[in-house]
Amino acid sequence: MKRFIAFALFAGLALPAQAAHPEAKVDCKAAGDKYVYDCMIRLSQDGKPLTGVEVTVGADMPTMPMAHSVKPAKAKPGKDPGMYHVRIELEMHGEWALKLQLSGAVRDLIVVKQQFGDEGSGHAGQKMQMK
Amino acid sequence: MDFAQNTLDGLTSGAAYALLAVGFTLIFGTLRRANLAYGACILFGVYIATWVAQRSDAGLATLALVAVAACVLAGAYVERLCFAPHRERRGNQVASGAGIAAMVASFALWMQFEEAATLLLPRHMYAFPALYEGAPLALGPLSLRVEAIVLFAATACLLAVLWLVLQRSRFGVAVRALIDDPLAAGLCGIPVARVFALVFALASAIGGIAGFLVVAAHGQVTPHLGMWATLKGMLAMMIGGLGSLPGAVLGGFLLGLLESHSQWYLGPQSRDLIAYLLLFTLLALRPGGLASWMTRWTSTRSAS
Amino acid sequence: MDEYTIGVLTNIGLFSFIALSAYLLLLAGELSFGQQAFFGIGAYVGGIGTALLGWPLPLAALAAMAAGAAAQTLVGLPTLRLRGLYFAMATLAAAEMIRIVLELIHFQRVVDGALVGPDGTQGFRGIRWIFEHGIEPAAFLALVWSLLACVVLLLAWIERSRLGAVVRMVGEDPELAAVLGIDVGRLKLGVAAVAGALAALGGVLFAHVNTYVEPRNFDIMLGVHSLAYALIGGLGTVFGPLLGVALDIGALESTRLFHGYRMIVFGGVVALILVWRPRGLLDERAVDWLGRRLWRRTP
Repeated sequence: MKRFIAFALFAGLALPAQAAHPEAKVDCKAAGDKYVYDCMIRLSQDGKPLTGVEVTVGADMPTMPMAHSVKPAKAKPGKDPGMYHVRIELEMHGEWALKLQLSGAVRDLIVVKQQFGDEGSGHAGQKMQMK
Repeated sequence: MDFAQNTLDGLTSGAAYALLAVGFTLIFGTLRRANLAYGACILFGVYIATWVAQRSDAGLATLALVAVAACVLAGAYVERLCFAPHRERRGNQVASGAGIAAMVASFALWMQFEEAATLLLPRHMYAFPALYEGAPLALGPLSLRVEAIVLFAATACLLAVLWLVLQRSRFGVAVRALIDDPLAAGLCGIPVARVFALVFALASAIGGIAGFLVVAAHGQVTPHLGMWATLKGMLAMMIGGLGSLPGAVLGGFLLGLLESHSQWYLGPQSRDLIAYLLLFTLLALRPGGLASWMTRWTSTRSAS
Repeated sequence: MDEYTIGVLTNIGLFSFIALSAYLLLLAGELSFGQQAFFGIGAYVGGIGTALLGWPLPLAALAAMAAGAAAQTLVGLPTLRLRGLYFAMATLAAAEMIRIVLELIHFQRVVDGALVGPDGTQGFRGIRWIFEHGIEPAAFLALVWSLLACVVLLLAWIERSRLGAVVRMVGEDPELAAVLGIDVGRLKLGVAAVAGALAALGGVLFAHVNTYVEPRNFDIMLGVHSLAYALIGGLGTVFGPLLGVALDIGALESTRLFHGYRMIVFGGVVALILVWRPRGLLDERAVDWLGRRLWRRTP
């Protein structure tokens, strides 16, 4: 009951909002040059591939959030609907938070965390403790 | 039995913390400044040793020497750039202009060393020749890793040597005089600048050995070593009481014990939480740390 | 203006809030390694406000600032007697404790079909107020900088007033200030509250521009960096910290001048500048010199 009231209040207070949020899956492979990666991005909304958006990809490291300025790169649409590919250049290996800026049909910002190493990216794991 | 096992593990990590705290305290006790680049110098030394290990067949003893030498070199660089120029003639204020400038400058050099280290060895983990490649010993129901014994023994030896140097050599007398009263020591004809530089080298050497022992015991090196050494060393130093060497040793072991026990009963995040809570409470209630409870052997002057 | 420049300028603005908060404490004679925690509290409280409670951003920002001020005052109370490295380590300990507590908070609710809320180490996703309200990056940049301008003007005005002189006096020599009848403890707590509120304001803006925050964003690196920016820019004027932030994030990082070596270069620059000027580029002497130059013609 409380949750319903809270939700109703929220729905009342908020201005018209997007129906559902776009989601992204990212997979990157090393592209030869050091710290350069070719990334395939799959965008979907409500389970359907998301087309008609411009995707700009930036990156930040979780531990120093505003200090690494990876130059944002515009992604090009791929063959299948909802697929985009982009080449990004990072500053070092490690865990990065990729920021996918969507504009056009849908305006949004999706953050995807990935661990970047020699071969490519993988799912971001837990931070390693020294002991 | 868990309690005994945790105590054993705690003493092992405590040994490393004690060494780190001693290094920090040597610098703080004499210079009255915290050297934020200390952990980074250790990182640098260990990385150079790793680099050498990758490219040659050097034995552990050689690698230890390399680590110590690189750490001492790094420490000398830090001392020249951050601490020598900001020497205060009057008083021991850490928060005075020059004190803050020295600490922030040392932080800047910490960042330099971290970047240099990742440029040298970019990956997130490297193997390091292990101290011992066998199974842990079994002492009845307890298990004791051989590396832990080596770490402990090395720490004990190092501390004994340090004690001898401080108590029985002229250099040691000079250092203790500086800790007691820098102004008076200078007036007595002690070459203050030279002793500072030597203390720095000594602290860096101790740090280098501590770093080497830790990565050799773990068999791996990561760039987190810099932050880890800085945090644990300063934590242990403050728990033990700023400026007191016996306090630093005690603080290190206490921190190790506290961490291993709280990790067992409360999980890894609570382990850090408890350590910081202890430090904060100590600082709020009794900034003198453990040392202020020890009546003998502590420096007579407060370190604020 | 392209998106990259907008992003960099926004980052400079956000970082300036936390640098200013470290600067205020430095003026009062306190070295704080912990401002990042209040930045984080601002981010989380602001995020909870807009994403979970449906508040408009201004209300969430006010709540965030109140939380930041309260938290910093709470930390300041037991540490009032501490000075120098003792105080610094106490703020470090408090900040890490706060960050670990953020790692332990799991509080998610389903909002608009998605799970939103702080999720421990996985962070806090879905802070999308500015996207839901169609605010362009350029507009948000303008918002950040106008808020910063208000703060800077306010602080500049206070600096020229008696309060500013009193704060600096307490920073230089607390005993003398106490002898002169200034309530040093209350003043320090007041400065702490303002610093906490400032850092929290930066935090709530940061959370909204990123839509995602995690406890790791608020670790020691952030705090000590902001302290370094404040010191290197100069403690003589409120524009000092801004200069420090602009030097690193603006000049060095974003021009990618020393790509890959930036920290080595900037670290060396910081250490050298501090040898030459221990209180920063725009320290009190420089500000005085500039002031005499600029107003030389005025009778």
